[in-house]
Amino acid sequence: MLTAIMVLMIVSSNAAGDVLLTRGMKKIGDISALSPVDLLKVAKRVLTNRDFMLGVLCLSVSFFSFLTVLSWADLSFVVPATAIVYVVTIFGAKFILKEEINRMRWAGTLLVCLGVALVCIP
Amino acid sequence: MKTSIVITIAVLAQAIGNTLLSKGMKDIASQPSFTDGFSVMMLVSAMQDPIIWGGIVLLILFFACFLSALSWADLSFVLPATASGYILNVFLAHRYLAEPVSTSRWLGSVLIFFGIALVAWSTRSTNVKQEQSQDSSAPDARGSETC
Repeated sequence: MLTAIMVLMIVSSNAAGDVLLTRGMKKIGDISALSPVDLLKVAKRVLTNRDFMLGVLCLSVSFFSFLTVLSWADLSFVVPATAIVYVVTIFGAKFILKEEINRMRWAGTLLVCLGVALVCIP
Repeated sequence: MKTSIVITIAVLAQAIGNTLLSKGMKDIASQPSFTDGFSVMMLVSAMQDPIIWGGIVLLILFFACFLSALSWADLSFVLPATASGYILNVFLAHRYLAEPVSTSRWLGSVLIFFGIALVAWSTRSTNVKQEQSQDSSAPDARGSETC
């Protein structure tokens, strides 16, 4: 049960981190600067972007949760089980970032779900 | 050739990195001071463990290779190619961490690989459609410029 909760935490924080990073980077815009001064300006924009910093925080939570669960659970279970993050991220992309998701992508997502379900069979 | 090398390094680095993290955390959990279960001190110990740091360095290498590959190769190729790491992870856990892996777990990992490949393929079809629609509108634009 605890393993399931930890996997859920890894997946939700990872997906939230990805969505927040994407939203943050879209607000920051294209990075095509090459000179050191321009790069510093970009770095300032990135580091003062709330979405980006929240995204980094979420990904840190995800990484430390991953480390924690590995102290007792099988790697061959944890890694495939956390692949469900692809599904959660797709929902985040559709409903938060308003991206269009085509049928083929839903089919792939369904395959990932089936795969994760198979991995979770004791 | 460059893409294949970078993706091979990425896949190996991720799978070996995860294996090292798992090995390091299980070693820490088996120490006498942590027999009562998980505590935050385990994470503090983890940050002083060379095996864990080996895993972190390899995961940073994976991320660097992944980002580099994306800078010149299609996401629709890079994503499924690196997703093969799921199968390699299960193999390394079975081979070097002596984890029992059932047939359903193997099958599940393979399905995840194909699922990610399909997601990536759908990304490519979307991009191709967008390029075709841009191409079909381009002659009109050129025509209007000529006029």
